[in-house]
Amino acid sequence: MKFVLNYIRREEWSPYVAGILLGIVGIAAVWLSNSLLGASGAFENLAGMIGKALAPAAFDNMYFNFIMPPGITYGVMLLVGVFFGGMIGAATSGTLKWGKKDAANSDSQWKRIFGASTAKRWALAFVGAIILEYAAGIAGGCTSGLAISGGMLLAPAAFLFIAGMFASGIVTALVIYRKNY
Amino acid sequence: MTNFITALVLGAFFGFSLNKAGLTKYNKIVNVFRFTDMAVLQFMMTALVVAMSGLFALRGLGLITFPAVPATYIVGNIIGGLIFGVGMALTGY
Repeated sequence: MKFVLNYIRREEWSPYVAGILLGIVGIAAVWLSNSLLGASGAFENLAGMIGKALAPAAFDNMYFNFIMPPGITYGVMLLVGVFFGGMIGAATSGTLKWGKKDAANSDSQWKRIFGASTAKRWALAFVGAIILEYAAGIAGGCTSGLAISGGMLLAPAAFLFIAGMFASGIVTALVIYRKNY
Repeated sequence: MTNFITALVLGAFFGFSLNKAGLTKYNKIVNVFRFTDMAVLQFMMTALVVAMSGLFALRGLGLITFPAVPATYIVGNIIGGLIFGVGMALTGY
C-alpha cells in the first residue's frame, strides 16, 4: 500500500505503467458508455456552438450539421475531465504550477532552442494548435481519438495516421533543430 | 447525465495517466521525433496493446459491442497524419 502511494507521488511514471492505465481507461470507455476517447472533436463541438450563436449562416454547413454537431457532447465532458485529471496528476507529484512565476513558459529545452520569450512560445503554440486541429479534422481524429482509440479497435485508419504523423514529425523536428538534432 | 459523469471520471484518469507519463511536457513529445526519448511510443503502444487485447477478449465473451470504428479513407488519413505531425512537433501536444 505504501509502495503504491509513493508511486503515485512520483513525478514521472514508467511509460509502461501509465500506458496500462490508459489502456484500462480505453476499455472502460467502450464498456461503460460505448464511446471512444476523443479529444480534438470536443473543440469542434464547442467551436460549432459558439459559431452557431454568432454567425448562424456561416456555420450552417454539412460539417457542423452532421459530422461535428455543436453542443456539450460526451467529448467535451471528457476534455474537462482530462484538464482536471492532469491537474490532479501534477498536484500529487508537487509540480502544479498554478499561479507560479514561470507557469506560462517553463520548458528548459524550448528556451534553449527558441529563446526565453514567452510571447513567442504562446504564438508558436497557437499556430501549431491550428495546424493540429485542422489536420485532426481531415484525418478524423487526433492522437487519442484516432491513433489510440481507433488502433485498439484495429481500424486501418489509425495505423495510416500514426505512420503519417511520425514521418512528418521527424522531418519537422529536423528542420526546427537543424544542428542540435 | 450518468454518461456525462462517466466521461468526466474517465477523462480525469486519462489526464492523470498523460501527466504521469510526462506527455503534458513539450520536450517529451519533441524528443520522440529526435529519437532521444521514446516515452511517447512506449506509452502509446502499451495503451494500444492493453486496450486491444482487453476489448477483443470482452467482445469474444459477448460482454460489449464495439462503437462506430473510425472511418478509413486512405488519402485523408495519411494527409491528415502528415499535417498533424508538423503541428505536433511545433507545439508539443
